[in-house]
Amino acid sequence: MEPAEVEFLAEKELVTIVPNFSLDRIHLIGGDLGPFNPGLPVEVPVWLAINLKQRQKCRLIPPEWMDVGKLEEIRDQERKEDTFTPMPSPYYMELTKLLLNYASDNIPRADEIRTLVKDTWDTRMAKLRLSADSFVRQQEVHAKLDNLTLMEINTAGTFLTQALDHMYKLRTNLQPGESSHSQDF
Amino acid sequence: MPSRQKPMRYGHTEGHTDVFFDDTGSCIVTCGSDGDVRIWENLDDDDPKSINVGEKAFSCALKGGKLVTAVSNNTVQMHTFPEGDPDGILTRFTAHANHVTFSPDGTRVAAGSSDFMIKVVEVTDSSKQKTFRGHDAPVLSLSFDPKDVYLASASCDGSVRVWNLADQTCTTSWLLLQKCNDVINAKSICRLAWQPGTGKLLAVPVDKVVELFRRETWDNQFKLSDASITQPLNVVVWSPCEQFLAAASVDGNIVVWNVETQQCIERMKHEKKYSICGLAWHPKHRQIAYTDTEGNLGLLENIGAAEKPNDKVGAAVAKDYNDLFDGDDDDYLNGDMVEPPSSPKTGDNEDDADDLVQPPGHVRRAVIDDDDDNSLDIGLIKASSGLLEKEDDGDDQTGGFSALPPSSTQQPLYDGPMPTPKQKPFQSGSTPVHLMHRFMVWNSVGIIRCYNDEQDNAIDIEFHDTSVHHATHLPNSLSHTMADLSTEAILLACESTEELASKLHCIHFGSWDANKEWTVDMPKDEEIEAICLGQGWAACATTALLVRVFTVGGVQKEIFSLPGPVVSMAGHGEQLMVVYHRGTGFDGDQCLGVQLMELGMKKRQILHGDPLSLTRKSYLVWVGFSAEGTPCYVDSEGIVRMLNRGLGNTWIPVCNTREHCKGKYDHYWVVGIHENPQQLRCIPCKGARFPPTLPRPAVAILPFKLPYCQVATEKGQMEEQYWRSVLFHSHVDYLSKNGYEFDENAKNQAVKEQQELLMKLFALSCKLEREFRCVELADLMTPSVVNLAIKYSSRSRRLNLAQRLGEVAVEKASGLAAAAAAQEDEEEEEDFRQRPNAGYSSSATNWGQLPGRNVQQDQEVEDAEEADACEEAEETPEVQQEKEPNHFSKGVASAEVTTPKPALVASSSRGRVNPFKVSSSKKDPVVPSANILDNMTKYSKKTSLSGSRAVNKQNPPVIKPLTPKPKTKQALAASFFQPRTPATNPAEKTVEEREEKAENESQETKVTAQENTENRRPKTGFQMWLEENRANILTDNPDLNEAEVIKEGMSRFRMLTSEERMVWTEKARGGRVSDSAEDKKRKRPTAEEDEVKKSQEQKSEDTNVSKKSKPLDASTNNRLSAFAFKQS
Repeated sequence: MEPAEVEFLAEKELVTIVPNFSLDRIHLIGGDLGPFNPGLPVEVPVWLAINLKQRQKCRLIPPEWMDVGKLEEIRDQERKEDTFTPMPSPYYMELTKLLLNYASDNIPRADEIRTLVKDTWDTRMAKLRLSADSFVRQQEVHAKLDNLTLMEINTAGTFLTQALDHMYKLRTNLQPGESSHSQDF
Repeated sequence: MPSRQKPMRYGHTEGHTDVFFDDTGSCIVTCGSDGDVRIWENLDDDDPKSINVGEKAFSCALKGGKLVTAVSNNTVQMHTFPEGDPDGILTRFTAHANHVTFSPDGTRVAAGSSDFMIKVVEVTDSSKQKTFRGHDAPVLSLSFDPKDVYLASASCDGSVRVWNLADQTCTTSWLLLQKCNDVINAKSICRLAWQPGTGKLLAVPVDKVVELFRRETWDNQFKLSDASITQPLNVVVWSPCEQFLAAASVDGNIVVWNVETQQCIERMKHEKKYSICGLAWHPKHRQIAYTDTEGNLGLLENIGAAEKPNDKVGAAVAKDYNDLFDGDDDDYLNGDMVEPPSSPKTGDNEDDADDLVQPPGHVRRAVIDDDDDNSLDIGLIKASSGLLEKEDDGDDQTGGFSALPPSSTQQPLYDGPMPTPKQKPFQSGSTPVHLMHRFMVWNSVGIIRCYNDEQDNAIDIEFHDTSVHHATHLPNSLSHTMADLSTEAILLACESTEELASKLHCIHFGSWDANKEWTVDMPKDEEIEAICLGQGWAACATTALLVRVFTVGGVQKEIFSLPGPVVSMAGHGEQLMVVYHRGTGFDGDQCLGVQLMELGMKKRQILHGDPLSLTRKSYLVWVGFSAEGTPCYVDSEGIVRMLNRGLGNTWIPVCNTREHCKGKYDHYWVVGIHENPQQLRCIPCKGARFPPTLPRPAVAILPFKLPYCQVATEKGQMEEQYWRSVLFHSHVDYLSKNGYEFDENAKNQAVKEQQELLMKLFALSCKLEREFRCVELADLMTPSVVNLAIKYSSRSRRLNLAQRLGEVAVEKASGLAAAAAAQEDEEEEEDFRQRPNAGYSSSATNWGQLPGRNVQQDQEVEDAEEADACEEAEETPEVQQEKEPNHFSKGVASAEVTTPKPALVASSSRGRVNPFKVSSSKKDPVVPSANILDNMTKYSKKTSLSGSRAVNKQNPPVIKPLTPKPKTKQALAASFFQPRTPATNPAEKTVEEREEKAENESQETKVTAQENTENRRPKTGFQMWLEENRANILTDNPDLNEAEVIKEGMSRFRMLTSEERMVWTEKARGGRVSDSAEDKKRKRPTAEEDEVKKSQEQKSEDTNVSKKSKPLDASTNNRLSAFAFKQS
């Protein structure tokens, strides 16, 4: 999967906005949205929130976890533990990126949040690389990775599986007797 | 405890502090290591005046309007007080001074410095200085002899010396203290003090005791000590009456002794045990102010008040009757009796109010509860009354307190209800004025914020709906403190300053001319206290107890006097609500009155200064109107009350916001109330009563809940729901009565919902065998639902009940007829919609229909329908809940074709058809289109009425601009039978085609349509014809049922020539001439319509073009929708 596709999926997440216009319930294939009352918070998907925000039709209320204190806690927890810790949202990276890009004026301490999420992300990616490395080194056949988000899986998944395939080929080629077998792959 | 310790408050940054009262005791002066001198009005003063005197202030002294401070640049400065202007430098040292003090007459200042020197300087002439040398270490503190002969000083070298002021020699010296090298290393700052007045004794804090030395002999008179003192004492002060001596220790203990008796009368502990370094006795009252090294300021009240009783009788009493009380409060009895009238300002604080009231109650309880032990009680009462007398004597003796107001000595005799300080005027939806960043108003239109800091003094206006107006930023040069906001104007007001009068400033952005602003100056000495905006008008209430009304353009209109000082005002549409003080409340209650008036065409007062019901010990925090125009208010206990117009304009609590709070100190700050949908919009505030401006608070929605009993049970729940529904839709009646437009759909919805709930309650009562209750419920039902109830009860074999219900139904019908008859006479009243059977009224041709007429047909059709419905209902009482809405749509709203699917209607009424919407019932596409037609015309009618307002009609959350409907009947009728608007044109064509089709191919549908509409219409020519010819038809085809008879009749009628039909039509019209003139007026259009219809039919296809311009009439519409109805 492309990162863009993952981002597309993330855009289905709901966020709260405060519209500055009035509109009755709108009916879409994915479900009904609204009604929109000026000044009254309403939950909408990210894609709509961003669209409205770009047209200056709403004010965004950041998700609860998008808070410096909470993210610091998460980052510290992530650094402390060897395994992956559960993330506040399955699309935390994408949401941070989207919301901070388009609605940073509605998010207090946006820069700090960006840094914190990036720190967390880096920590997790480092863990992922480390575990992939040990996985390959020890020639394990299976491993369990909990609490990984879709985006994280995607950054490593394709490359890792292909690399494993190649290595398998190379390894089987090392044993001349079975070389003919490996051609089948 | 008899004395009260107020919670400490932050005054300075941490470090050495000093505290004083000014000469009159009106304010507290503190200085601290932040270099500021602060002047506090009282302990609750949130905004003390600050004078910056230097980098660090070590000590300060105040007398006769001069403030002397010892600051870190080694000088002793003088400032004027209370202005705080620098008034020169008195003297300089080579190190900083540690203590400065005034001589008793205020002419000289003594300063002791870290360079071991003491200087005494004339205040008026700083060149006249006397220097006292002799200490071998930094001087800690100084004290002037009240007779101006000696000066006492303490130093780090451990010595306390007495100097002769005249010749600057050391009179005597004691080595009392521990030696140290600097002030910061000293165990105690050793603030010694000379007894005021006679100057007989000099008090010196020496470690854990206070040593008192006699003047002239300089011998150690006695020592004062107390077991509670475990750490060295820092400060000693005398009370102004010379009787008491207070000392404070480095671990935060304050002890007060009576010097004569050498008894300790007061012990107090600092709440955090910080070292107390400043202590000051109020010049008049029994108060001690103290500061600690962390910069906190505290106040101790009623010092020594309970001294006598405690020491003598009180102690005995407490001992004897110890079992009557818990050990802790054994002296509360005396305490509360001698409690001075806790100054009114403290009354703001709820806790204080509680303190005030509780003890007497407690006494009473103690006395009453123990009635098994009467002798004890009598003894107790005697003892306490004896105490009172003695207390008085004691007070007389203490001459030093003669300055006390006389009331305080009489106070003990009065322990009745205490008057509550009146709450100050406020603007609804504003946060306190003293805040630098505050909300001036937050309402359903927008937010006005006010910034008042160093950089900026400005007002920010933001609209929730940007289509009303764009956000605005105004400079706040006049320092406005009040604001209100409506969809057409911004209203601001400021208090008067020395030069400028109090001003009302209006920005009428809705104006179409270029001049959008106007201001009005109030007369001299008149301050604006509250303002509000309505539709087309603005109002302000002033200190002159006047309410002034202006037009929104600035024309002065009505003025009227208020019976009391205003508390708050609110406006909505043409309604103005004013809340004011009716009198003095007691025991924490406010005594408020409310006036509600209409400032529209018909000016009248609705609430004539009625008392406003508030929760006990609460005050008003929000006053306003719901978006639909019902007055509401909120008190400090979080109870939201709403005006119940249905019950003689009483107030009913609709929500308790505190129930929704998580924490004890959380509150909800109300910003708006909406009745349809039922929403209480408010902002959750954690640990505060109001929200900060940043981060921007988010609005939350709370549901309403009437405080009905047993809402946990099904019955209670439904009762609550029913009455809530009734209450929250009563605004519709009000609106219709006052000629406003309103959402008819919502009204019908509400009636349906209410009847549904009644029916459920009815079924529940039936199940519980409570037949009497069933009849009571039936009283609340509309006649058609009563019929349903009758069916229900008869099917469930409750014949007795059914019979009684039948009586109810008859009663209702007769009552209805009487009401309708009365209505005919009463031409002005248009409230036919209020009739219980309002469900019928939405069909256009209902006018003037008398309930006795057409009963035959009505009954037949309805019975058929209801029988179906009842069968459904009875099969499965459990499933009833799901099914009921369906048969209600048939039964209650009867053949209401226009509102089969509310959601659908709502969406289609805006002209947007939802391509994705999954409709729950499989409907022919024709149905929605028919609905669109009906509702579109309705909608466009509304818009044409309300002018250019583009506000969404189906969206009540926005305050609707309410415009009165045309009042005359003709106009009303016209609006009903009005040619439908061109908006229907494209649809019309298809309608025509369909009509043709219907005519040619399926006569049947048409006939049923006719039949359906017939029920609700006055008789037409066809009907009259049918009545005459029914017999004929029946004889021809005896096996026909009713519907088929009509069908047959229809086709026969069609075969008549147009002349004949004309005759019948004329007949129908003529028959109605006998009706009242009013009736005739209403019905003529219908008759004419018939003609139009017929001529249309005749001309048929060839006139298609002309027909396009000809509007679709109501009957066509009806037939069409009926056709659709049939299809579904």
